[in-house]
Amino acid sequence: MNNYLIVAGIIFCIGALGVLMRKNLIIVFMSLELMFNAANLGFVAVSDRLNLISGDIFVIFVMVVAAAEAAVALGIIVAFYREKGTIDIDKANELKN
Amino acid sequence: MEALFYVFSFIAIFSALMVVTMRNPLTSALYLVLCFFALAGFYVLLDMQFLAVMQILVYAGAIMVLVVLVIMLLNISKIKSVKTDLHQKIIGIAISLVLLVEIIFYIAYGTTKKPTGIFTHSVIDKIGNTRVVGEFLFTKYMLSFEIASILLFVAIIGAYLFAKKKF
Repeated sequence: MNNYLIVAGIIFCIGALGVLMRKNLIIVFMSLELMFNAANLGFVAVSDRLNLISGDIFVIFVMVVAAAEAAVALGIIVAFYREKGTIDIDKANELKN
Repeated sequence: MEALFYVFSFIAIFSALMVVTMRNPLTSALYLVLCFFALAGFYVLLDMQFLAVMQILVYAGAIMVLVVLVIMLLNISKIKSVKTDLHQKIIGIAISLVLLVEIIFYIAYGTTKKPTGIFTHSVIDKIGNTRVVGEFLFTKYMLSFEIASILLFVAIIGAYLFAKKKF
C-alpha cells in the first residue's frame, strides 16, 4: 500500500506545482484534475489495504463531482475568454483596485 | 505484478510532469489522457476493474473530450503564450517540494491500522466486482447517490448560464 500512496503523493505534488506555477487557465484546470486523481488513487489503495469497499464508492462520487466541476469550470473559462480575450490568470484582477 | 507497478508509476509520474511543463495546452491534454490510463492500470492492479473502466470512460473519455473541445473553441495557438516569471516559479517549486516531503514523511513514519473489513480480493472476486460496488451504491449509499444526481442537474444549469452570451 505504501508504494501506491507515495506515487499518489508525488502526483498530487506535481498537480499542486502546476496550479501554483502556470498562468494558463486551462493548464491550471488540468493540474486540478491531476490532484483529484491522486486523491482517488490514495482512496483505492487504503480501502484495498483495509479490505473495505467504502473507499471505492467514494471514488465514484469524486468522479461525479469532478465531472460536474469540469462542466462548470470550462463554462467559466469560455466566459472569461469572451470577456477578456485571453486566458491569462493574472488578468482576473478586477477585485484588486 | 511488481514490474507492472513500476511501469505504471513511471508512466504516471512522467506524464504528470509533462502536463505541468508543456507549453502547448493540447500537448498537456494528451499527456493527461496518458496519465489517466496509467492510473486505470493501478486500479486493475488493486483489483478494482470497475473503477478502471469508469476512470477511462469518465475521465479519459468525457472530461478530456470537453477540455480538448474548449481548447479548439478558444483557438489557443492564436493567443500569445504568457511566460511564468521566475519568482512565481521558485515559490511554486518550494511549496510543492515541502508538501512532497511532508507527505512522504507521514507515509513512512505513520502506523497503519489492521484490516477491519471483510472484502478481501477472493471475496470480491467470488461475488463479482461490479456487483459489490452496485449493491453498496444502491443500499447503504442510496442518499448520496440521489444527492449526486441533483448535483449533476445543478451543474447542467450552471454550465448553461456561464456559457450564455450575457448573464
